[in-house]
Amino acid sequence: MKARLLILLAALPFAFAALRPAPHQAATKLEPYEQFVQKYCSNCHEPEKLDRIKVHDRVQAGEMPPKEAKLRPSEPEKTAFLRGLASWLTTEEKAKYAREGRATQRRLNGYEYENALRDLLAAPWLQIRDQFPEDGEAYRFNKVGDALDVSHVHLARYLTAAEYAINEVIQAHEKRTPTTTKRYYARDQQTLTRIFTQTIFNSSPDRQTYPVIGTTPQPDVRNRLAPLTVGDSDPKTRELEAVGWVSSNYVTGFTYRWDQFKAPVAGRYRIKFSAYTLWAAPGGIHRRFTDTSDKVGTPGKPRMQTPDYDKISPGRTVEPITVYTRNGTKNRCVGGFDITPEPNVYDIGEVWLVAGETLVPDASRFYRSRPNNFVNPLMTKDGCPSVAFRWMEVEGPIYDDKSDAGYELLFGGKADVESHLRRFMAKAYRGPVTEADVQRFVKLYQERKQAGLGDREALIAAYTAVLASPRFVFLNEKPGKLDDNALATRLALFLWNSTPDEALRARAARGELSRPNVLRAETERLLNDPKSHRFTEAFLDYWLDLRKIEDSTPSTTLYNDYYLDDSLVEAAVLESHLTFEEFIRQNLPVRNVVDTNFTFVNERLANHYGIPNVKGIAMRRVSLPADSPRGGFLTQASVLKVTANGTTTSPVLRGKWVMERILGFEIPPPPPVAAVEPDIRGAVTIRQQLDKHRANTSCASCHTKIDPAGFALESFDVMGGWRDRYRGVDESKPAEKGLGKNGQPFAFHYGLPVDCAGSLPDGRTFADIRELKRLLAADEATLARSFAKQLTIYATGAPIRFSDRAVLEKILEQAKPNHYGMRSLIHGVIQSPLFREK
Amino acid sequence: MKKPVSEQPYFAMRTPISRRALLKGAGITLALPFLEGMQPVLAQAKPATMPRRMLAICNNLGLLADQFFPQGVGRAYKPSPYLEGLQAHRNDFTVFSGVSHPNVDGGHPADVCFLTAAPHPGSSSFRNTISLDQVIAEQIGIQTRFPSLTLAVNTRARSLSWTGTGVAIPPEDKAAEVFKQLFLQGNAAEVKAQIRKLETGRSILDTLAEQATELQRNVSTHDKERLDQYFTSVRNLEHRLAVSRGWEDKPKPVVKAPVPVDPASPAAYMTRIKVMYDLAKLAFETDSTRAITLMLDGVSAPVLEIEGAKITDGYHNLSHHGKSESKRAELKTIDGWHIKLLAELLTKLKATPEGEETLLDRTMVLYGSNFGDANAHTCFNLPTILAGGGFKHGQHLAFNTEQNYPLPNLFVSMLQRMGLETDRFASSTGTMRGLEVA
Repeated sequence: MKARLLILLAALPFAFAALRPAPHQAATKLEPYEQFVQKYCSNCHEPEKLDRIKVHDRVQAGEMPPKEAKLRPSEPEKTAFLRGLASWLTTEEKAKYAREGRATQRRLNGYEYENALRDLLAAPWLQIRDQFPEDGEAYRFNKVGDALDVSHVHLARYLTAAEYAINEVIQAHEKRTPTTTKRYYARDQQTLTRIFTQTIFNSSPDRQTYPVIGTTPQPDVRNRLAPLTVGDSDPKTRELEAVGWVSSNYVTGFTYRWDQFKAPVAGRYRIKFSAYTLWAAPGGIHRRFTDTSDKVGTPGKPRMQTPDYDKISPGRTVEPITVYTRNGTKNRCVGGFDITPEPNVYDIGEVWLVAGETLVPDASRFYRSRPNNFVNPLMTKDGCPSVAFRWMEVEGPIYDDKSDAGYELLFGGKADVESHLRRFMAKAYRGPVTEADVQRFVKLYQERKQAGLGDREALIAAYTAVLASPRFVFLNEKPGKLDDNALATRLALFLWNSTPDEALRARAARGELSRPNVLRAETERLLNDPKSHRFTEAFLDYWLDLRKIEDSTPSTTLYNDYYLDDSLVEAAVLESHLTFEEFIRQNLPVRNVVDTNFTFVNERLANHYGIPNVKGIAMRRVSLPADSPRGGFLTQASVLKVTANGTTTSPVLRGKWVMERILGFEIPPPPPVAAVEPDIRGAVTIRQQLDKHRANTSCASCHTKIDPAGFALESFDVMGGWRDRYRGVDESKPAEKGLGKNGQPFAFHYGLPVDCAGSLPDGRTFADIRELKRLLAADEATLARSFAKQLTIYATGAPIRFSDRAVLEKILEQAKPNHYGMRSLIHGVIQSPLFREK
Repeated sequence: MKKPVSEQPYFAMRTPISRRALLKGAGITLALPFLEGMQPVLAQAKPATMPRRMLAICNNLGLLADQFFPQGVGRAYKPSPYLEGLQAHRNDFTVFSGVSHPNVDGGHPADVCFLTAAPHPGSSSFRNTISLDQVIAEQIGIQTRFPSLTLAVNTRARSLSWTGTGVAIPPEDKAAEVFKQLFLQGNAAEVKAQIRKLETGRSILDTLAEQATELQRNVSTHDKERLDQYFTSVRNLEHRLAVSRGWEDKPKPVVKAPVPVDPASPAAYMTRIKVMYDLAKLAFETDSTRAITLMLDGVSAPVLEIEGAKITDGYHNLSHHGKSESKRAELKTIDGWHIKLLAELLTKLKATPEGEETLLDRTMVLYGSNFGDANAHTCFNLPTILAGGGFKHGQHLAFNTEQNYPLPNLFVSMLQRMGLETDRFASSTGTMRGLEVA
């Protein structure tokens, strides 16, 4: 009885403290904390340097004071301490939230700004993002105000980008041409026909093209003894004329760009190709040239690795073709198809192009010859595969009722300047426009007119200013419950990486959005809209670091079979996007992040994974056999590539990645230690090297947590290919034979076996990645907590702090019945105060 | 016909020079200005400081590695055959080995990445990033009439200078044209148009500052910092535009040097290089700019005319020597001239006093290539020299030739030497290990 009374009395100060969260009481409330810390912690730690949240967590977990410590608190003492500290932390945080909100005021990041402009000006083709400096990150996302700085450079770029965007929209309107459908014949395309002839830069037939009709080569045309094309004189034959080649694109020497066609104006174009495959016999001839003035060269002897374009036969393969844009500032992939020995027409559908852009079809399986002494890896003793293109057909620009919407917004209708500006600002600013603001920009217009600018120029200056103004660039969130406009903006930035559309703004304007069922309905609508693909891209770019996919290059020594394999990397990224979208669409339980029984592949990726019977360039969903290591993000090629460096893998890096991004545990940085240098000669494995390191107990305390997942992932090389043995470079050992996509030989040997077994800190063991995935997938709550955390940082621009944890647990509770469906978690976050308050 | 790259007043960058007709009777006969008599440029109350500059040169066919890289490391290195040609300046330059730009591969296309370090120039979806000189231009370019100069020999397409918006600045390949824009007075209408653009920029910024002030009244303390930062940036940019505007009113410097003569034939490659080197020196002496890039394009060059030597094969062909001794011999002759001209440039810079120092002390000269071995088309182990700029030179900084040290680290050191507060550039991991300021 007496003991209980004492405990009650001891608890009283904490209780009072909880009831009276006034800031000036802070000092008094901390006394019990300070006493505890003084008694139990100060022998080893400096009390002022302690992070109180960490203190709470370590004491709660029983990690501190350590088991060997002489003085440890009793259970009741510990409980009281924790309760008091928790209460104090919560109160402090809540007070801060009331003053400042969870999130810091932030500007739109580069992705968002681009999308906002694209949506505002109805110009999906605008390329703006790369004009900005790279956005800073906090908590691994580019959505956090504290890291999104503004410098004079940013401001200059905003002004330039805005002016550029407006001018592009004006150009698109003024240069409008009627929709046409035009066929661009390969035989009229100079970039293709001029390399019929060998020159100093394509002295090898591998880098040439050749003329053909059906499967009949045309040596006369190739040697320029006959015209390049029959032209209009023989339309039937013209349709059959084609140009063939055996290489993939290489930027300077021989890019198969179809630049007879250049988009006359920014807009939508529908693109078709007519093409088929062929087969070229060996025995071609190189020529030697002294310099660029030597136009004839000296022929060499026939070579068996070189194709002979006078000996063509029907195609024996199906070839994947990827189509890229060219001539713009952002060359990108816009489609793909598989061509067969039968000539066919392939429609890649509608593509957004900017003015001046053209297209390049790339035979992505073919090689890109790199000096010296290159050999086509696809050449056999019978010859090599080839592709032949007849024409590219472009229909466009394709217009609809939105095509001129941007121009209409800027200059449409007969109205005075003030009305124009008012209308523009109403659309651009994500809330009501004040009189003061309107007058401000009207004044700018007038001042510029006074200075001698024309009507239009002055108005453009005002529009440019609006698009660089803080009300456009910054979010408008006030501490406490977000008003409907701010909520609408947050929702659109979350699920579309852009600003709200008309429908969403209307609901906000009517004050409906804060109703939970309306918020839920809008969430569903946004998720179902194709624009939600921007969410997939932007979220995975940062959560899984996919934006770093090109940051490493496969080593030409160890991994020459992966070097220049763009189609593999492209498919790998698509796999991750499609998987994520499937998870959200089907509301699959969060454990699928780690382990699932399906994935998305095309032929190239399926080959990489050893999945049989997948043909063609299109990505499709496949079921995985029960014993497949694939399925879930951990074993996707994209993830495995961004967690490696092109030459070696690191269990520590991969393990840390899994711990932090998938399981949600933060690993503190290591103390300064010499880095472990991997031995690429292969005499010792990275695991063996690490074992020495981990034998040290202070290193082990973190490494027993970090490394296990990394060891299991050692079964995957730098491109995510399965391996049972490591590759090494040791000239004394026989090299693996083969040729890479650069036409150069492999040079590695197989070395020590991979040891992928390990044990989790709780003692459970696994033999390989399959078993590890099952173990991790079993802890659904941890996976859900981590996933919800990532969503929260992304969606709100603030991390989960101490007082947010309880809110997070509520979200999880509600999602538990359906095993934490990922779509449900998105809804859960949006419906919670984390999202609905600043 | 090149388009001017930027009608971008907000960068306060002048449009690169469109072609103008020869001014009649352009007699340039007046005296050379005293470098020391130059007035401080910025209106801000900063003490007048002597300028620092950078000249970055890329020889896009490289140099024979076994003739270039020296034996031994540190200060006691034994000069290689090529470095013998620079020994008169041994204490004024540092030679690097085992360096390259991470993930910059692909051979010829990598020349435009020499100053950007943007990865995979050969890839179908390559996009270049900001170059070293443009980082400088964006920060301090307003201190001179021309924020930067982009020059080239034998090309108007391959550029070392790329803006932050991903656009190449087309290089000037005619020194005479550049001379005219540096020193001959401009067209009144063009000047008026440029002034108006700058004024528009300032008007816009005024309006933005007004709105920012209004918004700041209604935000919490922590959020205010964010808006403050925006506001400061507005004022900062306004100031830059004002300085830029000021240049339009100032007369150009007067020089005694004659208009340079550009040799007509691309075979006169070495003469063209010399003409450009002299132009660069003149531009620095007159403080017309503080960042110059120069692309030496050998790729499409014909059989070169080299004084006192007989070259029998095209330059590009020679670079793919395939170990042929005769080709290597011709290449050595050509490379020898590259070194000779560089040595002459350093001599001239050193002979020009600047206060207590020389023009060389205050000018960083970077000489390198995108090729480590043009024969094998590899882009690692790049032959790199940094001269001048006020560093502790006279050494061979040797890094790992199997796993190269990042060359962007040298760029960070160079940016810091220019007075920029930065600690990163592209894929850098820090400053250049072993390179110290004098």
